[in-house]
Amino acid sequence: MTVKSGRWAALFLAVPLGLYFTFVVGPSLYSFYYGFTDWNFLTGEANFTGLDNFRRLFADADFWSAFQNTIIWTALGLVISVFGGFWLAMALSRLLILERFVKSLFFLPMALSLVVVGFIWTWIYRLDFGFANIVLRMLGYEDLATAWLADRNWALFAVIFAWSWQQVALSMIVFLAGLTSVPKELMEAATIDGARFRHQLNQVIIPSLRPATGVVISLALINSLKSFDIVWVMTGGGPFQQSETLAVLIYRQAFRSYEFGYSSTIAVALFVITLVIIGGSILANRRGAE
Amino acid sequence: MAVYLKKRVAKDFRRQVKSWMLTLAMLGLAAIFLIPAWGVLFTSLRTDADIAFNGVWAPSGNVTVDNYLSLIFDVRVHSYMRNSFLVTIPATIISVAMGTLAGYVIAKLRVRGGNLLLLVIVSGLFIPPQILLIPLFQLFNFMGLYNTLWPMIIVHSAYGLSLCTLVMRNFFDKVPDELLEAALMDGASHPRILWSVALPLSRPALGALATLQFTFIWNDFLYPLIFTRSEEAQTIMVGILSLGGQYSTAFGAQAALSVIASLPTLLVFFIFQKQFIKGLTAGAVKG
Repeated sequence: MTVKSGRWAALFLAVPLGLYFTFVVGPSLYSFYYGFTDWNFLTGEANFTGLDNFRRLFADADFWSAFQNTIIWTALGLVISVFGGFWLAMALSRLLILERFVKSLFFLPMALSLVVVGFIWTWIYRLDFGFANIVLRMLGYEDLATAWLADRNWALFAVIFAWSWQQVALSMIVFLAGLTSVPKELMEAATIDGARFRHQLNQVIIPSLRPATGVVISLALINSLKSFDIVWVMTGGGPFQQSETLAVLIYRQAFRSYEFGYSSTIAVALFVITLVIIGGSILANRRGAE
Repeated sequence: MAVYLKKRVAKDFRRQVKSWMLTLAMLGLAAIFLIPAWGVLFTSLRTDADIAFNGVWAPSGNVTVDNYLSLIFDVRVHSYMRNSFLVTIPATIISVAMGTLAGYVIAKLRVRGGNLLLLVIVSGLFIPPQILLIPLFQLFNFMGLYNTLWPMIIVHSAYGLSLCTLVMRNFFDKVPDELLEAALMDGASHPRILWSVALPLSRPALGALATLQFTFIWNDFLYPLIFTRSEEAQTIMVGILSLGGQYSTAFGAQAALSVIASLPTLLVFFIFQKQFIKGLTAGAVKG
């Protein structure tokens, strides 16, 4: 705006950018370098080994299993948060009585840490007194009862479901905020008959929720690709790495096996996967808008 | 006329009933949705003997606050909670303040390369934190900050810049330029305009952002897991796990600990709920 603004801009940006480059950008670049070394934290040895780590990565069954789990997580997480969050928000946005109180009940999981969410759900899944099994027994499906988190087939899905409990709350908040741009009379009129409802859903509600949907999708992707806390608390990645995500594998290689070099290689892989998936979703969203 | 009135009353009544039915249905759904939370709350209020005998979900008449009492007087819990506050409050303030500065510059100062700058800062949102761990671990060891509160404060301030800048820029973008230009004409400097014109206008965005940052930072588990080793520097989320191991069969105490650890974020969330939605609407979704 004025001649002086350049100086102020530099002054305002100095500290934020200094911190950002020192503690976020710089370290990320270092990881790229470490990914090409055989650095072991215990022996302290580090040699540049070229593409060796990447050859190892492509032959590593643990990596492929963690990759598969992460992709399953991302896909399921996306579907559950978009659809669950949308319908929950649609229902909540019509409330006229006790509106704020009822909404705040559905917000609750958002305030909890994934460590606490993990703890809570661990109890739900227990074989002996877990709620899931109590319900199954009550409904007469005794033989379906299992120790969900120790079960090879179910552990991953059990953890994803627990995580979704919080993620749905988050998407719902974003959709609710988006729905405030739709006039309340329109929402109300839409309840009268089915045909009209579908028409308004397609013509009014979904188009006006486009920005909100973009935010929900990005959040779901980002959160599922880096999921660590809740896995670590609930299963540690087990049984037999059946619920191990890439983020957990990176931690395990670095701070359990002390293979800092190889762990960095996997971190680089996760970074590239994130870039591809998020970049793809942004492009798809842009194309859809045109 | 009378018929018309009667019809109207009947319509209003039907409407009322419908509204109530929706509210009741959603309350029922909320009760189911929150079953996991009920479980923790009930467990925390019962003795271990009672839980062992009746199971977690079977109702029993005995309510006790012993689990809470034993934790409230546990010095380790004090230390974990204190550390969490000492990390969360400064890191929340710093990240929001820096996002405000950067967002203001990008939205209002029209510097060359402003869009590129925004892209560089916002792309931090897509950097998985796992890629930072080893270099930061090394750096903090080198700086002599391993096993102190500093790594968490610093990393959250730096990593939070992406989100904070994005939200604040989107908000400042909608503040009309004329307001700031008028202030400039009056001879006000940019810090002064930011402080007394732009900031008061952005209170909803600030409230929402601070709530979000407070929640993220308080609930973080990864950084304290990597950058600390002992009780003096660990935050409550890691503390839950350490203490949990020791109370591994004491479900009541574990549940009470989870409740205590969640109270600050629950309080912040419910106090700022209205602002949070408003800020989200203005800052992120419509932007």
